[in-house]
Amino acid sequence: MNSQGRRAAWAIVLAAGALAMGVLSAKSAPRHAPQAASAGAPVTFNRDIAPIMFRSCAMCHRPGEAGPFSLLTYSDAKKHARQIAEVTRSRAMPPWLPEPQELKFADDLRLPDAEINFIQRWVEQGAVEGDAADLPAQPKFVEGWWLGEPDLILNAAKPLTLPPQGTDTYWNFIFPVPIQQTRWVKAVEIRPGDKRYVHHANILVDSGGTLRQREAAPGAGFGGMEIRIESQVFDPDSHLLFWKPGTIPYVEPEGMALRLNPGTDLILNTHLQPSGKPEVIQPSIGLYFTPHPATKLPMLLQLENDAKLDIPAGQKDFLVSDEFTLPVDVDLLAIYPHAHYLGKGIQALATLRDGTKKTLIHIPQWNLNWQAVYRYSEPVRLPKGTTVSLRYVYDNSDENPMNPNHPPARVVGGNRSSDEMCHLWLQVLPVNFDAAQGDPRMTLEEALARHNVDKNPGDFEAHYNLGSMLQAREKLEAAIAEYEAAVRLSPEDATANNALGAALVGAGHAERGVGYLQAALKARTDYFDAHYNLGFALAQQNDFEGASQQFRLALQLQPQDAAAEANLGATLAQLGRFPEAKSHLERALQIDPNQPIAKENLDALPKETNPR
Amino acid sequence: MRLGKLWLRLMLVAAIALLASSRLASAQETALNLDGHAVNPLAADSGKVVVLVFLRLDCPVSSRYAPVVQQISKRYADGADFYLVDPDKSDSPQAIRKYLADYGYRLPALRDPKRVLARLSHVQITPEVAVFDRNHQLVYDGRIDDWYIDLSRARPAPTTHELEDAIRAAAAGKSVARNEVRGVGCYISDLE
Repeated sequence: MNSQGRRAAWAIVLAAGALAMGVLSAKSAPRHAPQAASAGAPVTFNRDIAPIMFRSCAMCHRPGEAGPFSLLTYSDAKKHARQIAEVTRSRAMPPWLPEPQELKFADDLRLPDAEINFIQRWVEQGAVEGDAADLPAQPKFVEGWWLGEPDLILNAAKPLTLPPQGTDTYWNFIFPVPIQQTRWVKAVEIRPGDKRYVHHANILVDSGGTLRQREAAPGAGFGGMEIRIESQVFDPDSHLLFWKPGTIPYVEPEGMALRLNPGTDLILNTHLQPSGKPEVIQPSIGLYFTPHPATKLPMLLQLENDAKLDIPAGQKDFLVSDEFTLPVDVDLLAIYPHAHYLGKGIQALATLRDGTKKTLIHIPQWNLNWQAVYRYSEPVRLPKGTTVSLRYVYDNSDENPMNPNHPPARVVGGNRSSDEMCHLWLQVLPVNFDAAQGDPRMTLEEALARHNVDKNPGDFEAHYNLGSMLQAREKLEAAIAEYEAAVRLSPEDATANNALGAALVGAGHAERGVGYLQAALKARTDYFDAHYNLGFALAQQNDFEGASQQFRLALQLQPQDAAAEANLGATLAQLGRFPEAKSHLERALQIDPNQPIAKENLDALPKETNPR
Repeated sequence: MRLGKLWLRLMLVAAIALLASSRLASAQETALNLDGHAVNPLAADSGKVVVLVFLRLDCPVSSRYAPVVQQISKRYADGADFYLVDPDKSDSPQAIRKYLADYGYRLPALRDPKRVLARLSHVQITPEVAVFDRNHQLVYDGRIDDWYIDLSRARPAPTTHELEDAIRAAAAGKSVARNEVRGVGCYISDLE
């Protein structure tokens, strides 16, 4: 009888922040220079300052938004005039970290020097109101959901009460997505709760529900700045779903959409700052669907070098770099740099084959509080052979006031906010490829995985991910070698043992695979994939009794898995237990009417006259 | 010489005390408690240090300091009297009461619509503090600590504690190191 190998166990390990659909702030009014005030003429609010406030400040500085006070009227602005002069002069406001560069970003918030000068002069001259006739109309903002009523609204099951005091809090809310079939998402609106206390928020897609085990109780959420998600399949729906103050929802361009499969959880990773009083934070997420599946499939390329992060106490200029050469032509759509509190200068470059260098982003004074996804105004074509590089500089001295340690202490790479990170995500769309050669994202991913193994030959995760990619590309023997390297480095890792076992079984070495699958289950008894794969391996060795036990254990963990149900039916049929087999095969078809194993075996049942 | 400067401060204090006690002075020229009565926090001969904490209800920085101020006031309650001072004349007593309840403040609050206390204390920004010694001479004005670096950055925790240092010195009758650093926050002079 037939049974089916599991979509084995490709588990691409993603670090936090990896998924998202770029949602950036947008302007409410077109940019135009203040009308005024040629030399000597007094600067007035109504003529010169209001247009700047309305365009560049009011989207956050209005009721219900992130700004701590409104900037919609003269008296609003007057009450904070010197403060406004100070924060615009220092460019703390509007918050925009990158330096101006040739490759333009959409929704650039940087104020032109001339506007900053107007604000300084306005305040120096006494912050006068001016002629009422000069005042432009107040900007109109959409009330409620920006794109209209969403197709699906997800509300956090339980609010978080943010304590009045203490360091910044990083909290993750889990949103199960109640869909019965695959949906394509065209836009997402993140409502992070009370926006005044949320610095930023990121959606991660957890297709396997693996993060639920970190909750103390269902719906409780869990703490942590950086989270990792194991993906069941090679499924790089690589969208940047990011919220920062002032963000308005971003609608994916033609052909692009985020795939959501049934059983997926969305994880909202939030960065919260205490306000002085207890605050109740209860986010929600609005999803907008499209009937059109994505035809353009972008990918997130991650450059990183956390392994090099071992920063001695007191070191002022600690440089970390990484570079990767593109194996295919891509369009670069967006960029998302990430470091923690020691990060000082951040730079990413593209070096074309002819030696031409393009600055992709340059942030001379990094500030984690204002981290953001930056989307280019126009896609940036980077041909095959282009080398993308990052250079991050860290300051672990006492001169860095954001230093989490006082006095400074050695800091290494890691997930806690007191650890450091060196990450750069590039959202790219492969172009000019021959579809007959397969998904160009796999070529990219394999090249990246190989780059990581070369960079960190002793890194478990690098070998594991390369193994996953090779397996996804059906290079099984090469995948087995990488998984073996991973298991050597981390002999008790459940995921790696399961992957190695599954790859061996898939390559026809069931007898060698069994031991690794058993090791995976020793490390993690409630591991559905490992039970399933072990059941499959035992069935291949004609141990149908053992196999049926494993499928039953798998079904206890995931009762709605049609393939496990079908395989259980198949093994029971092999054991001659036809009535029982029939009921499991039928149940498999109830779950999934097209389950091929169940259909095939059910058809075969009446003819089984001579069971062993 | 140090005495000369102190004498000047004494004069100022005396001038305020006179205003507060003068029947001719209108209530608007003194600080007011939330019931509208004129109050001079420096008039009482308590023998205690007096700390004025300036805040604006619309200033996120002074609001974030609420638990810190409350904790410091509790720690030094035996030796110092604390007052919150709101220099924004447009804030009603009701709005201030609600703010105190929201932020868990248990300290007396004063309205300072004419900036009498702000001028006396030399403060310009919220949150800044003024510390008066047991003889009610101004011995410190400036930031609470170095938590905030500027309006977009705060340290994980402060590394200096100017307010507490000043209270301890003043309560012990010692001279206070006068190395005032201005606070980070919202300008009082931006108010009407």
